[in-house]
Amino acid sequence: MRVPFNLALGAALVALVLAVALVSLVWTPHPHAALDVANKFAPPSAVHWLGTDQLGRDLVSQLMVAARNSMAVAVLAVGIGCALGTGLGLLAAARGGWTEEAIMRLSDLGFAFPALLFAIMLAAVFGPSLPNVVIAIAFINIPTFARVSRAAANQVWRRDYVWAARAAGMGRFAISRDHILPNIAAPVIVQMTIEFAVAILVEAALSYLGLGAQPPNPSWGRMLSEAQTLMYLAPQLAIWPGLCIVTAVLGFSLLGDGLRDITDPRLTRVRAA
Amino acid sequence: MIAARGLSIRTGAGHAAVRSADLAIRPGERLGVVGESGSGKTLLALAMIGMVPEGLQVSGEIAVGGTVVAPGDEAAWQRLRAREVAMIFQEPMSALNPLARVGDTIAEPLMVHRGLTRSAARAQARELLEETGIPQPERRLDQYPHELSGGQRQRVLIALALACDPALLIADEPTTALDAAVALRITDLLVRLARERRMALLFISHDLAAVARTTEAMLVMYGGDIVERGATDRVLADPAHPYTKGLIAARPSLAQRGRRRLPTIPGTVPPLEALAEGCRFAGRCPVELPRCVHLRPAATATASGSAACHLLGAAP
Repeated sequence: MRVPFNLALGAALVALVLAVALVSLVWTPHPHAALDVANKFAPPSAVHWLGTDQLGRDLVSQLMVAARNSMAVAVLAVGIGCALGTGLGLLAAARGGWTEEAIMRLSDLGFAFPALLFAIMLAAVFGPSLPNVVIAIAFINIPTFARVSRAAANQVWRRDYVWAARAAGMGRFAISRDHILPNIAAPVIVQMTIEFAVAILVEAALSYLGLGAQPPNPSWGRMLSEAQTLMYLAPQLAIWPGLCIVTAVLGFSLLGDGLRDITDPRLTRVRAA
Repeated sequence: MIAARGLSIRTGAGHAAVRSADLAIRPGERLGVVGESGSGKTLLALAMIGMVPEGLQVSGEIAVGGTVVAPGDEAAWQRLRAREVAMIFQEPMSALNPLARVGDTIAEPLMVHRGLTRSAARAQARELLEETGIPQPERRLDQYPHELSGGQRQRVLIALALACDPALLIADEPTTALDAAVALRITDLLVRLARERRMALLFISHDLAAVARTTEAMLVMYGGDIVERGATDRVLADPAHPYTKGLIAARPSLAQRGRRRLPTIPGTVPPLEALAEGCRFAGRCPVELPRCVHLRPAATATASGSAACHLLGAAP
């Protein structure tokens, strides 16, 4: 099968960002928080590949650690949101009736609640921090995954093999685990990939507002906000983190689109025509 | 013994898809149900395992092994399924989870219902597969459904249904999707298993030859009514109800090949809402009486069993 272009490009971009994030765990060109005020706003050089910022910190090192923070937030938040949301969606499809109705109306309520507002609330109560960002993003992901998994699960519940499993005396929860979950994995994984992109964007936005990573822990969003006042003096300080955000978000979006193209049978038929 | 008394199934709009059906299956008995599409035979079977689709109303009494089970009591039915009643379906191609190994599919109910460990359940699954006569049962355990042929899949589904040693196996047109040679082997397998296990078999089909080969007694359904019942060979040899007569006359026969057009029952089964309130066959019946449209005929004893037709009974 030919790999679609968006899938290949998305996978490449995501692999690049992930590789950078992983490398930052063991190696960065300089300690990311090391100040060198004498050497501030240094241009790109062999020592500082992309130069230094207003406090003389190495830009490459900061971007690398920020990539790690961004990935960690996205993976944790989407992972938690997906686990809880998919669990609720499976439960809704398995029980039907008022349980399904209650879960779906609650998730409508969740959709109506802006992530930013929720994060600001958390920050006001518990103080701004990355864990709170994780909680906020996980929370907004729950209704998304509940909806996607319930819709897919309701289709699988009508399949003959689910009837055969029921006739063999399997309960709703055993059927959900053994038959429904594996057969809704494709749309859920596609949704996860797309939500990674959203999570990266939300994390950047929250950090930009000062609600995410706190200094000296770097974040693309906070680097942007710090560079904002220096736009005319040192535009590269805003351009590089911005490019990083674009790369990561575009990568996950394309990957998600590409995965959907190859896993959704309805789209496959359209493409073949 | 599994029995239904006055079993009716109505659609949301109130039309009866099955009208007060009575049936009883004794241990080891093989009972056939014959009827066209839409005659209610599949719904009747689903009611016997508590799996009538949502949106349909089931009324009447179903007793499994002496205890009465409410049609909507899902928890009670779940305990009875597999152990008392099991079912195999028409379409073996889609009745197996494409993402699960065959061995796991069969082992799962064994672990749930019998509390077997994974390895014990696997060993039992192997034995069940062997019992269904599938070639190389050991290898099948780790195969996925797409690696099996239609007949092999139906054998896997039979093994799945037999896993918890049910008292009754319902087979809903188990051979419709299979080619003729495989279909014969599957029906023979069902008869052999029913005999060996002293298991009752409810065999649903529109294929009179398959029913003749498989069952001892049969029911004929039309438009949701059981119109005739009796010993299979005697009903087929000496049908009493005009619908059964038409059905048997419409069978192709090698002896008459090419000599004449196959007789048919004129018309088609009308939709549920257009069926007559009296005899369901009114409107297509060649020997219809004026009262047939309004008055539902009662079951009357016949030479081969009983049939519900005004021609057979005394005038009201």
